[in-house]
Amino acid sequence: MPIKVYGTPTSTCTQRVLTTLIEKGLPYELIKVNLAAGEQKTQEYLDEKQPFGVVPVLIDEDGFKIYESRAICRYLELKYKGKGTELMPTNDVKALGLFEQAASIEMSYYDPMKGLGDPDEAKIALYREQLNAKLDVYEKILSKQPYLAGQDFTLADLFHLSYGNRLVKLNEGHFFESRPHVKDWWNRITSRPSWQQVLALA
Amino acid sequence: MGCSSSVSSSQPVHRTNNIQSSYDTRGTIVVYGMIQSPATQRVLATLIEKGLKFQLKVINLKAGENLSRSYLEKQPFGTIPALDDVDGFTIYESRAISRYLEMKYKDKGTELIPKGNIKVEGLFEQAASIELSYFDSYANGIVTERIFKKMRGGEPDMNKVAELRRDLAKNLDVYDQILSTQSYLAGNMFTLADLFHLPLGSLLLKCGEDELFESRPHVKQWWNKISTRQAWKTVQAMA
Repeated sequence: MPIKVYGTPTSTCTQRVLTTLIEKGLPYELIKVNLAAGEQKTQEYLDEKQPFGVVPVLIDEDGFKIYESRAICRYLELKYKGKGTELMPTNDVKALGLFEQAASIEMSYYDPMKGLGDPDEAKIALYREQLNAKLDVYEKILSKQPYLAGQDFTLADLFHLSYGNRLVKLNEGHFFESRPHVKDWWNRITSRPSWQQVLALA
Repeated sequence: MGCSSSVSSSQPVHRTNNIQSSYDTRGTIVVYGMIQSPATQRVLATLIEKGLKFQLKVINLKAGENLSRSYLEKQPFGTIPALDDVDGFTIYESRAISRYLEMKYKDKGTELIPKGNIKVEGLFEQAASIELSYFDSYANGIVTERIFKKMRGGEPDMNKVAELRRDLAKNLDVYDQILSTQSYLAGNMFTLADLFHLPLGSLLLKCGEDELFESRPHVKQWWNKISTRQAWKTVQAMA
């Protein structure tokens, strides 16, 4: 039984998982969940797939089910360590600590800016201000090292791809473009073949 | 500048041997933060669960000490906490610090992340993500309005609170479902995924949001279990 992902190719969270699967060289089947029709809120989906009513969900070859995109990605890295790209440092506790720090930075300072699609002008102004302040710090960090956790590309960088892409699609790419080290980092991670493949699916 | 206090836990839960750890003599773990800060409390709870000695160096937010050049060198986002390990290794972001402490001091004190079984680890990661996706921002929003804003002389936006409460309530309905078949969020072992809820959960109760837990029997049971752990009681006594 191949790995199954329930989600959609345009869902930012699903994209995270698909990118990881491709980085690890793992074949998978994407089973589309009809978000527009509210399939993820049906009792069947809530009972059998994801009790919070969102996508994605992954079912591994042996039937093991896991949800929450970042958890799925971490699980895939643990399970298929040694296949494809290494996406988390192994064994070195300091390197792992710095990876966790970078992964937390993504959740604390970057993920909240997904609100930029909000119709409320006052809210958008606030998000912009916050995002500018946070990306100024990213610029500092990335002036000393090529990736958020250090010298190597990790899940911490990968997790940024889908919302960053949404920013660019909203014509807000200037947040990246205006900061030379952030710009370099953004170009580097978005030009990875795995991400290009996921974009082609959307 | 800041004051520091030494705290150590006198009850290691689990000893693998009787040899005194060299960590105890080499230097001290230093936490930069404030005892009232939920994120700092997350780290202190972890340290105490692991039976680790540490010093708390106060970074006074009101006085802007988090924006001093020396602190920004440690934590460039200017938030608390940050931690210096015994060998001078610096790390920030409370959940990252907690995870690092668990990895580094695996055999000390309580085991806080299950190891050795990839499915069990995956379910831990799922639970840790649940805390971030469905609890943290809602609880933080309510507590910011009802406690922190007030402390700064502002008035809570009760419409915002109502909206946040409604969303958090829906999510806690799912928690209640999950916790009806297992004792803790990741399975049958207490983990960091549960611990991470303690600071904001306690503040929710402090500002009168008890109903969120009380009205959901399994959530209530889970909350009672995790909030009466000795390590958490010790942190609360420090505040």
